Amino acid sequence: MAVALEIVLVITSLLLTVMVLLHKGKGGGLSDMFGGGMSTSLGGSSVVEKNLDRITVAIGLVWLVAIIGLDLVLRYT
Amino acid sequence: MLTAFARAFKTPDLRRKLLFTVGIVAVFRLGSTLPTPGVDYTQINACISAAGTSNSVFGLINLFSGGALLQLSVFALGIMPYITASIIVQLLGVVIPRFETLRKEGHSGQAKLTQYTRYLTIGLAVLQSTGIIALARAHRLIPGCTRDVIFNRIGVWGIIVMVVIMTGGTTLIMWLAELITDRGIGNGMSILIFTSIAAGFPSSLWAIKLAKGWPVFLMVIAVGLALVALVVFIEQGQRRIPVQYAKRMVGRRMYGGTSTYIPLKVNMAGVIPVIFASSLLYIPTLAASLGTPTSAWVIWVENNFTLGDHPLYMALYFGLIIFFTYFYVAITFNPDEVSEDMKKYGGFVPGIRPGRPTAEYLGYVLSRITLPGSLYLGLIALIPLVALTLLNASPNFPFGGTAILIVVGVGLETVKQIESQLQQRNYEGFLR
Repeated sequence: MAVALEIVLVITSLLLTVMVLLHKGKGGGLSDMFGGGMSTSLGGSSVVEKNLDRITVAIGLVWLVAIIGLDLVLRYT
Repeated sequence: MLTAFARAFKTPDLRRKLLFTVGIVAVFRLGSTLPTPGVDYTQINACISAAGTSNSVFGLINLFSGGALLQLSVFALGIMPYITASIIVQLLGVVIPRFETLRKEGHSGQAKLTQYTRYLTIGLAVLQSTGIIALARAHRLIPGCTRDVIFNRIGVWGIIVMVVIMTGGTTLIMWLAELITDRGIGNGMSILIFTSIAAGFPSSLWAIKLAKGWPVFLMVIAVGLALVALVVFIEQGQRRIPVQYAKRMVGRRMYGGTSTYIPLKVNMAGVIPVIFASSLLYIPTLAASLGTPTSAWVIWVENNFTLGDHPLYMALYFGLIIFFTYFYVAITFNPDEVSEDMKKYGGFVPGIRPGRPTAEYLGYVLSRITLPGSLYLGLIALIPLVALTLLNASPNFPFGGTAILIVVGVGLETVKQIESQLQQRNYEGFLR
């Protein structure tokens, strides 16, 4: 049980990292971090971005459930 | 003020953005309390309540992660790797010519730099999570804690899984921050730091009340409010250098002829110098925690640098903050570029010739106005250290230094952004 969950976690963590990296970075530099300019980017997200968002959220949910599951398994065995 | 809040929620567009931001923050806080699989939650809580947050080596970083670091939660590293990566990429822009050209390239170059920052974040996350888990396994994460905070039976494979999970968590935080910047209100990174720090306020205030009683508690709150007022006052302070634009005829139209100003803020660098200085001063302590506990230099570092109430530490901290303030202002505001741009569009400062004399003038004013700014940063950042020695309070004095600068700075910035969105529909916002 624990081993299966651990394998799921490793896979989903790696997938999550890849998915987030596939997004276009919109964080911007440090300059607009503390007291920066108003750089509100116009232009909505494309279809590709929307699908990517959905996949990322789905993987994130699986990841979360697996973490909670493994927490419980390790705690009560 | 309150009607402005009500109006912000009545505007459908703004309401959606605000609720989205709140939702992301909720997800972030949830992950900060969820323990990483393999961590013995009961043992670690016993250790934290025994040691208190006061004498931790990781004081500042733990503050930035809202207490999640010492609990070894999924989001233990918090937004710190992302910030460190941004700082490194920003600094490399001065050193490496390729980064310099990318920075000047405009939008596409910025996007590329952002991408580098994200790769670097993940690298740093792997390094830091490995380091922290190794420290926790060697019983050195929390001083004086000898319990097994990580289950012994999970072995090397379990440790690898923990590192992978923490790295994934850090990546997720990065995405959450970008989502806030993109679709919510304010800058994601700063909002997440803001929530982490603000999350620590109630408990540390209550700790003061429990330790010292009501009078000291009320006094701390009064001092805190006064400090907030002071920080707002100085953060808003700026010198306006008038700029006159010449009239131009293009076809039948008349352009220019307006007079505007360049705002030079007293504190142009924001809170970044404080973050730089404290991360630099934290390096010796970290190095000492890896060295053998009996050697002479380790003992010296532990005596002088760990708690931060030593005069040498304070002087070094102050000096570094002043240095980094000037350094950061020099990176972000280039008088030569500004005067060149002004010349191109026919602008001039009244009484000063365009071109080099203007650049010299701007540089002169800037270096003068940054001096009080840097002194103010240094003094505010030293408040918790001074309070520590005078009042015998804990170094994580809630209303002090870095915490208050970040909270107030981010708050002001976010309110300004909400206000500018409100003004698209009607005037009169929060600030007058």
